[in-house]
Amino acid sequence: MPLDRKIAHINLTTGDIDVKSIPLNVRKQFIGGRGLDAYLLYNYARKGVDPLGPENPLIISAGLLTATCASATARTHVMAKSPLTGLLGSTNMGGFFAPELAWAGFHHLVITGKADKPVYLFIHNGNIEIRDASGLWGKTTTDTQWAVREELGDDEVKSLVIGPAGENLVRFANVMTGIKNSGGRTGMGCVMGAKNLKAVAARGTLDIKIAHPMDALEYNKRFIDQITSAKVNQTQGTLGTPFIWGATNCWGGLRTRNFQYNQLEYADDIEPERLDEIATETIGPHHMTGCFACQVHCRAQYKIPSGPYAGKYDEGPEYTSLGAFGAEPGCTSAETVLTGNHLVNQFGMDNLETGSMIAWAMELYEEGILTEKHTDGLDLRFGNDAVLLEMVERICYRKGWLGDTLADGGIPAAEKIGKNSFDYLIQVKGMNNLHSDERATPALALNIATASRGSDHLRSRPAIDLYHLPEGVLRKIYGTPIPYDGPLSSEHTSYEGKAWMVFWQENCYMAVDCLGICKYHTTFLGATLPNFEDWPKVIYYNTGLEFTPEELWTVAERCNMIERMYNIREGLSRNDLKKGDTLNHRYFDEPCKRGAPDVIGMCIDREQFEKMLDEFYDYKGLDKNGKPKAATLKRLGLDREPSRLL
Amino acid sequence: METSGKVLTIDHEKCTGCRLCELVCAVKHDGVSNPMRSRIRVMKWEAEGLYIPMSCQQCEDAPCLKACPVKAISRNASFERVEIDYDLCIGCRTCVSVCPFGAMSFNPVEKKVFKCDLCDGDPQCVRFCEVKAVDYVDAADVSLKKKKAAAHRISVAGKEAASLHAAL
Amino acid sequence: MPLENTKQSAAEALRQTRTFGKVRCHNPSCMGRIQPEPGARLVKCPTCGMEYRLYWVSPTLPRIRGPVWDVNREIAEKTFAEKQAVTKPTAGKMKGK
Repeated sequence: MPLDRKIAHINLTTGDIDVKSIPLNVRKQFIGGRGLDAYLLYNYARKGVDPLGPENPLIISAGLLTATCASATARTHVMAKSPLTGLLGSTNMGGFFAPELAWAGFHHLVITGKADKPVYLFIHNGNIEIRDASGLWGKTTTDTQWAVREELGDDEVKSLVIGPAGENLVRFANVMTGIKNSGGRTGMGCVMGAKNLKAVAARGTLDIKIAHPMDALEYNKRFIDQITSAKVNQTQGTLGTPFIWGATNCWGGLRTRNFQYNQLEYADDIEPERLDEIATETIGPHHMTGCFACQVHCRAQYKIPSGPYAGKYDEGPEYTSLGAFGAEPGCTSAETVLTGNHLVNQFGMDNLETGSMIAWAMELYEEGILTEKHTDGLDLRFGNDAVLLEMVERICYRKGWLGDTLADGGIPAAEKIGKNSFDYLIQVKGMNNLHSDERATPALALNIATASRGSDHLRSRPAIDLYHLPEGVLRKIYGTPIPYDGPLSSEHTSYEGKAWMVFWQENCYMAVDCLGICKYHTTFLGATLPNFEDWPKVIYYNTGLEFTPEELWTVAERCNMIERMYNIREGLSRNDLKKGDTLNHRYFDEPCKRGAPDVIGMCIDREQFEKMLDEFYDYKGLDKNGKPKAATLKRLGLDREPSRLL
Repeated sequence: METSGKVLTIDHEKCTGCRLCELVCAVKHDGVSNPMRSRIRVMKWEAEGLYIPMSCQQCEDAPCLKACPVKAISRNASFERVEIDYDLCIGCRTCVSVCPFGAMSFNPVEKKVFKCDLCDGDPQCVRFCEVKAVDYVDAADVSLKKKKAAAHRISVAGKEAASLHAAL
Repeated sequence: MPLENTKQSAAEALRQTRTFGKVRCHNPSCMGRIQPEPGARLVKCPTCGMEYRLYWVSPTLPRIRGPVWDVNREIAEKTFAEKQAVTKPTAGKMKGK
């Protein structure tokens, strides 16, 4: 049974809509989801396009396996040129939107142009309608979704929306769906805002054919057992992603007070177990929820227990909200974390970037680079909870000089603030780092330095490097599907073999993003979760497409390469502090002064880091400057791009 | 008698709202992914985080069975279920109208009504629901778990009251 | 295509390496296995001396909730002073500590 899935090109300026089938040869090369998005971006975004201009294509997609009988394949991927970094914009989110889009008849949308007034798209069983959104403009993310349902008279409509932050062109505005599922990174909500596109609503009752339904059903059971039996997912299903924050804070890998410390001490009130108690007290014993067809249920439900927002319902917080409203600004109050999480969810802005920007400003304030004149009188010191929450609102609505400045993102803000403020900005390629401190972990440092969308842990982080797994176990994981017999070290502070681990993870995460699978279902936090050898079965039973593990690896390499080609076209170069594969100087020359005993005082060795980067480039088939070699492009079939096949 | 028959039970408090039950139900019965074809549907109030799976209760005195003008609906004792004979069914959807739970659905593609058939004794929704918001238990024990949970709540409340009393 | 489906994948084969009832010491250069008493709230790493507060996800799945903060601070300050006394340490040069 041939796989017939659709892509729609939608022009908001002209109202033209063009629907095409996705050819199988394109599927074979780029699979779907993020990989196919990257192909589309490379093909449809002209070099140097204005990220906020009508020409910037906004690409929204479901993974190849989304809405098939494969668990936890609910991921939506969104791409465009990033208004935050000027490079690849790319974000991935869970929830229920992507499957609904698939049942509504589409797997990829390419949205260009700009509407002359606020609009939203309604996608329903093969039809696409551009509708007036004047009445939705100004609404929060959840109010927008409920208003769309009311207008359409259908409670089952799932929408991907922006909040006020996206409308106000905050450069790190989210796209969101549900209560808190966010595509947070690289400012895709800002791109929507610039297009006057408030929401994309989907509702579908079309069949997604399953190639071998009974095999798919049985294999899904086996796949789920493998996933839910992992200790990491049992913990995740009880405490959610805060459990990672707790562990990270314990071992000293937590970026605290804008990278000054590696640990938020005495943070008992915001430990995952405490948050779990609050969720139990305000919701009940069964307070965990999940994305479509996922049995890990890693998302907590809660009501804010106290303060001005007491009683408000929300979900999460995730690791990043604990970083943004906990460790980074140096706050230790659950009320602050839960309120901050609620505000960013309602405003539709990236919690990670928001927290990092405010923490950066806090350090600048304590250093005297920012003064009360800049802050309009706010006492922007670390640990000032009220000012932290006030700043969230000021950024969203661009209120005051500082709110407006920070809303433009790190590099433009540093240029505006001047002095040596840029030296304090913990970013790669213009995007702030996850709230983690990689000074003791070379593999993780290489990961954030080379991630294609700017500093990021979900592109290539070998998180299991911290587990000191026996070499035999590491060889079993990192030696398939492509044989590898180079060095592999169980020691997290070593530089040996780490380039290969990062390269392997980069391909692994690309593959799951193409398939639409969540990263908690692969080799990310747990060493025993499915990867290249398992996926060919899920793909075959569900879609009938045949891939070997080696072929999937090559597809992932190809998709990663086209992302890199895109970045190079937009100006990426190896040592550029603002657009390169390198790290803030603090990683190399400023040992952490306070925090967990073991990693205190550690730094990355610049020489060894550069050597590791050379090795990484070599595995990827790049030259010393990080540019793809001609032979690599030929091997991956990318020597004739852009090919414009769909 | 070996068993008193098994019934599908739903404990909505445990439901995480993931809708895997809908997915596997449609795949098992129709070989496709499409919640519209699922016999079990999770009703949601997202704004307050409330999720309630709804399916056929296999009523003893079933309104659909009584209302069917062509007697196409009958009770199958061996599976303890209410079932449709598609050779007799005329597709009038009277059963859809009278079902008090909305558990009788209509498939607009094949123009057929459909409902839960307990997968002939191995309900896939139950098999895939790890939190057991949907379960398949002996009819005789249907309220035992609830009794125990309620008893536990009473006991906790009792202890709290006692400690309050002691503190006074 | 009749798919090879009976053989275990690498990930499935690694499932047997899972251990229950234990935690790994969260001191990254230690990472020793600690086997707490079932239900224990506190545990001390026999290898490196760090002290932790525990949480039980399930009766066989303990988890480190966090360090005992005062002990953590004390060891941290001592270690930092020692490290400063030697040389500027970088990752990778700390082996064998």
